[in-house]
Amino acid sequence: MIPPGTILSRAAPLLACLGLLAIWQAASLTLRTDSFPTAWEAVRTIPSILGDKESLINILASLRRMAIGFGVGIAVSIPLGLLMGRSRAVASFFNPLLMIVYPVPKAALMPIIMLWLGVGELAKILVIFLGVSLPVIYHSFQGAKAVEEKMLWSGAAMGLSAAQRMIRIVLPAALPEILTGCRTGLVLALITMVTSEMIARQSGAGNILFNSLDMGQYDTVYAMIIIIGAMGIGLDAAFEKLRGRLVKWSEPGFEIPLSFA
Amino acid sequence: MNPRTLTSDILLGIVPIALSVALWQGIVSFGYAPVTLLPPPGQVFMRLAQQLLTGTFQQEIGATLFRLFAGFSIAVVLGVGIGLAAAANPAVNAVVRPIVRVLAPLPKVALYPALLLLLGFGHQSKITLVAADALFPILLSTYYGASMVEQKLIWSAMAAGTPRRQILFKVVLPAAVPSILTGCRIGLVISCIVVFLAEMITSTDGLGHLLVTAARTFKTVDMFVPLITISLLGLILNGLLQGLRSWLLRGFPEV
Repeated sequence: MIPPGTILSRAAPLLACLGLLAIWQAASLTLRTDSFPTAWEAVRTIPSILGDKESLINILASLRRMAIGFGVGIAVSIPLGLLMGRSRAVASFFNPLLMIVYPVPKAALMPIIMLWLGVGELAKILVIFLGVSLPVIYHSFQGAKAVEEKMLWSGAAMGLSAAQRMIRIVLPAALPEILTGCRTGLVLALITMVTSEMIARQSGAGNILFNSLDMGQYDTVYAMIIIIGAMGIGLDAAFEKLRGRLVKWSEPGFEIPLSFA
Repeated sequence: MNPRTLTSDILLGIVPIALSVALWQGIVSFGYAPVTLLPPPGQVFMRLAQQLLTGTFQQEIGATLFRLFAGFSIAVVLGVGIGLAAAANPAVNAVVRPIVRVLAPLPKVALYPALLLLLGFGHQSKITLVAADALFPILLSTYYGASMVEQKLIWSAMAAGTPRRQILFKVVLPAAVPSILTGCRIGLVISCIVVFLAEMITSTDGLGHLLVTAARTFKTVDMFVPLITISLLGLILNGLLQGLRSWLLRGFPEV
């Protein structure tokens, strides 16, 4: 039997969603403009978008690009971040470069990358990869830096080589922090995916969103916003569950990572 | 950290930047990429220097900076306010927490079309987007900072006769400042990114608009200029915030 308090705290995000939709409904009923349909109208449009084969293919293609970009991103960034955290030289080698790259909007590189690679999949995946990398590198770096020296010393004393220490001590010890980075990276991957498709209008969820805006199909615009928003919330919740399983032993410092945007 | 290792760190840090510029130059001069696709770095930086002196370019930077600061300031005021209220009051906390939990992982760019429809193509929609994006890091860091204030500090303030109302501003807020500033730094970088993207999607001025027009007219050199400018702006603003931080936190124990 779950105590009523837990039920309430579990249902709270759901209640928040419903509350926000209710505020939206009320706002659009008071404003009464064509460009601001009610929440109910927008929600009603969702099945017709998801039922349409072409837009479903578009959305799935977006998700696939996102998954590839995210996968490659974390595969490159975690080792780099861990190395940076354990070696001062590597850290001071890469840090200034990363600081320069940090405020550059990754999706803004889209027009240039499109010139080089064309409008296809590769350009979009590369942009998502760039968007994911930075937070993952940063958090892996912080995690690896905070590993207790004594554990590394005892590992070395027991005859672990540098590479073994990296995999068997640094990686698990830094895992909670790395996963925080991945969580931010996941949300950023979604954001970069949408923006890159807004800029290179060719296919994907961002394309549907902005094309319907141009064509004045306001119901579709708002329905797409709900779909993309739900993807973000859903992916984040799923990742949080996975994280809870992988690092059950570590209490998360923050419930929600700061670097979300 | 002694100054010697610091200088060697800086020197080491310049290496990859110099290497990437050299690689860039190399690719161009050995003819791996046509100049139309990848202009040589010298040409790009010359163009940047030239542009920085012209009035129109300064106006574009001004428009971008205005939106950036307006959005960022709104985010700071709202974020610190809501964060403090949520940390101080359980009832506010119970309402704010689930809403933040839902809204934080939502990709805010997706809201931009709705903002365009509601607020028009002018400044407001972009400022709102910047504020919405920068809000959450600041709100969360304020909340975490304020809820982790050492209880003893509050007790001693109460024992010294500080009214409950004033404890929030005299004890909790100052103690949360380091955390708030961390959130502001993240929020600032995010503001830079978002303002640029919003201007790329729909705008008639600003740095993002410059990039789009350059891309449409196929002027590759002019495409690099706004990108480098936004990177420089980010670095400068970050530096200013660091300065503000060390000024605000003078006398604080090392954080």
